[in-house]
Amino acid sequence: MQDFDAIVVGSGITGGWAAKELTEAGLKVLMLERGREIRHQQDYETETKAPWELPFRGLGDSALYQREFPVQALNRHFTEWTQNHFVNDHENPYATAAGSAFNWYRSYQLGGRSLTWGRQCYRWSDYDFGANKRDGIGTDWPVRYADLAPWYDKVESFIGVSGAHEGLAQLPDGRFQPPMALSIVEQAVRERIAARWPDRCLTIGRTANLTEAKPDEGRAPCQYRNICNRGCSFGAYFSTQSSTLPAAQSTGRLTLITDAVVERVDHDPKTGRVTGVRWLDTKTKQRRSATSRIVFLNAGAFNSVHLLLNSASEAMPGGLANSSGVLGTHIMDHANTLSAIALMPGFEAHTTFGNRPTGVVIPRFRNLETLDGNGFTRGYSFQGGALQSAWTRGKRAAGLGAELKQELHRPGPWRMVLVAFAESLPRATNRLSLHKSATDANGLPQLEIAFEHGAQERAALADAKAEAAAMLTAAGGNVVMGLDQPGPGGTAIHEMGGARMGWDAKTSVLNRFSQAHDVPNLFVTDGAQMSSSACQNPSLTYMALTARACDHAVGLLKAGTI
Amino acid sequence: MDTGVGNGLKRRDFLQGAALLGLVLGLPVTTPALAADAIPTGRQLRVLDRVSDIVIPQTGTPGALATGVPAFVVLALAHGLGGTGVPVAASESALRPFLRADGTLRHLDWLEATLDQAAGSDFLRLAPLEQVRILTGIDNAAFPPGPPLAVPSPWASLKGLILTGYYTSQAGAAQELRYELVPGRWDPDVPLKAGDSAWSNDWTAVEFG
Ligand SMILES: Cc1cc2nc3c(=O)[nH]c(=O)nc-3n(C[C@H](O)[C@H](O)[C@H](O)COP(=O)(O)OP(=O)(O)OC[C@H]3O[C@@H](n4cnc5c(N)ncnc54)[C@H](O)[C@@H]3O)c2cc1C
Ligand code: SF4
Repeated sequence: MQDFDAIVVGSGITGGWAAKELTEAGLKVLMLERGREIRHQQDYETETKAPWELPFRGLGDSALYQREFPVQALNRHFTEWTQNHFVNDHENPYATAAGSAFNWYRSYQLGGRSLTWGRQCYRWSDYDFGANKRDGIGTDWPVRYADLAPWYDKVESFIGVSGAHEGLAQLPDGRFQPPMALSIVEQAVRERIAARWPDRCLTIGRTANLTEAKPDEGRAPCQYRNICNRGCSFGAYFSTQSSTLPAAQSTGRLTLITDAVVERVDHDPKTGRVTGVRWLDTKTKQRRSATSRIVFLNAGAFNSVHLLLNSASEAMPGGLANSSGVLGTHIMDHANTLSAIALMPGFEAHTTFGNRPTGVVIPRFRNLETLDGNGFTRGYSFQGGALQSAWTRGKRAAGLGAELKQELHRPGPWRMVLVAFAESLPRATNRLSLHKSATDANGLPQLEIAFEHGAQERAALADAKAEAAAMLTAAGGNVVMGLDQPGPGGTAIHEMGGARMGWDAKTSVLNRFSQAHDVPNLFVTDGAQMSSSACQNPSLTYMALTARACDHAVGLLKAGTI
Repeated sequence: MDTGVGNGLKRRDFLQGAALLGLVLGLPVTTPALAADAIPTGRQLRVLDRVSDIVIPQTGTPGALATGVPAFVVLALAHGLGGTGVPVAASESALRPFLRADGTLRHLDWLEATLDQAAGSDFLRLAPLEQVRILTGIDNAAFPPGPPLAVPSPWASLKGLILTGYYTSQAGAAQELRYELVPGRWDPDVPLKAGDSAWSNDWTAVEFG
């Protein structure tokens, strides 16, 4: 008799979903989380702090960041308010291969990066699921939009996604709450772009911030503060804490253990099944274990792969579920850069009230029905928005005294920003492996990341820069700057792949239900399963795939086949 | 926007809760201690006071002195905020006398010497309007018209820290500008009237400048 029906490793965006779905289906579930506990509405320590209540006024202690958070501090969401929602790099080292740069942004805590994410939620379409097959790069997805559509419905309805229906084939509409409004400037840009390019649509971000309460779940509508990553006591954005965890806990079937680093998944070579997991209790330094009928890996793409590599055994010397040899390969991110900033004259008499917690999006318009990309076969899309310059503009210009104070008293000029996310191609050479000698604090081999953007991504960003400038100029703006080189890998914080899905057990790790080809009671439902990257933010798709895999796993358990 | 919800938190309750929590815990803002070599001389502090006051004087609202900006700048420099902890290119010979062994700049040494040099004597003994004229010269040189300088003037960082110190202080953020912890709604188009103040907590705008 096993201790649990299911063990879920990780409590972030996908782990929370697995715990909810499996407990609601009647299973007794253990969820293990390596980080500390953070309780909803009680432990969001900086949520209501004003800048003058923080010693470094929100900028944080740069000297400390350089010593302990040199990677995390490179991400603009890392501030004095949010620093305790990101990992200490010094205590959580990883290696990069020679010639590789990869900034790995992580949150090791209850809720994982569901607390810190940007909440953008976009469905994928068959342009995305069909991409590998179409140009022959990577392995064909064993999933199409029709397989996932009902699961997108389910996830959106539960987490609460606000957005506008646009009827776009490349960015299917979902079950949306009412959209947040475009600002006057964004509305004008939308209209001017549409007038010139009927196939380009600027729409409000589809975001997991509520515009309507979800009283059954104790979640209030958004209050327009735009400080979500500090944690939100209104429960107005989706996080594990605000949404999936209370649902799982209310079944009475969830056991949650925090401060538990899972080090190994146990595999029985006689049955070919996994039997449970082992972990280190970081508070007591004791090693513990539990058994279960099925195991779900939701540690975040790279950590799930790390765990599979660390779970190598005599029977599976290259890593658990790695008979194909592709485990760790074909990792991706998005190639990400600031394509354009433009001044937007003509709106000097207008301003806005409130802090909207989402920007806008211009969905992909390249390589849809016709392959019209110059040097690239995939897509890119823009996110961004209009803003009125704040007091910080005073740091860039001459001026002193009462005159400067008077000038900064007023909102500054309107500007429009467009940031590109270009599809990252799945390449075998971009891969994760175990470092030969370096170990982490607990003695396990460090993860080594080899990653480079390729010519396709660079061509896409060059096109994005030109098109961003053309659109903002046509919308009446004066472009002041733009970039076409991607930030280092990891910059988009959409790292994924490494245990890809595929039709064939010889060339992929997982089947179309996120189930290991080699090990029928092992499921990997975070970003590791991705066979391509599309150019949308990926987490909504991870959630839909997780819910679908849970349904499949429960069906197999009930049928007695696993 | 409807803010009342079933068993969720209401905005009013939330504000009360937050206020009560602050009262009960009386959370003070603790100021980290400075390392010995980060403590400025008395004269440097007087120079920094004067300079901060010139950048943000008292008008209808408090200025840099009343809001403790100089102390913030000293703390910020000690911890390398606003890029001040990054080593300076060794080729910058004009800055060499002010560099630490690790290549970082002693900003207050530089400020003191640069002002005295421009004054031709003791900057602090000049008439106030003379002091403004001298600082204006340094400010204009740091931000010439056209593209920004290839090697930024140390004044750009110092001015940036003075502005941060002021507009993130309570008076600067919430009296001189507008600070709303819980706006509660989003209006996408509002007429901007004469005298309306900008938000200090429009976080995206603060970040992008
Ligand atoms: C600033 C920021 C903005 C983002 N914006 C967006 C966005 O707008 N839209 C979008 O789609 N995505 C966004 N992302 C990405 C998104 O956060 C991730 O895709 C998502 O959180 C992945 O979910 P996950 O469950 O796989 O991993 P995570 O949410 O990272 O959770 C993994 C959990 O597993 C735990 N864990 C790891 N290893 C172990 C182990 N060995 N044992 C036990 N526990 C372990 C971790 O501590 C963590 O809690 C953003 C991320 C960041 C940081
Ligand atoms: S913007 Fe909305 S979701 Fe974000 S913290 Fe504020 S109330 Fe919460």
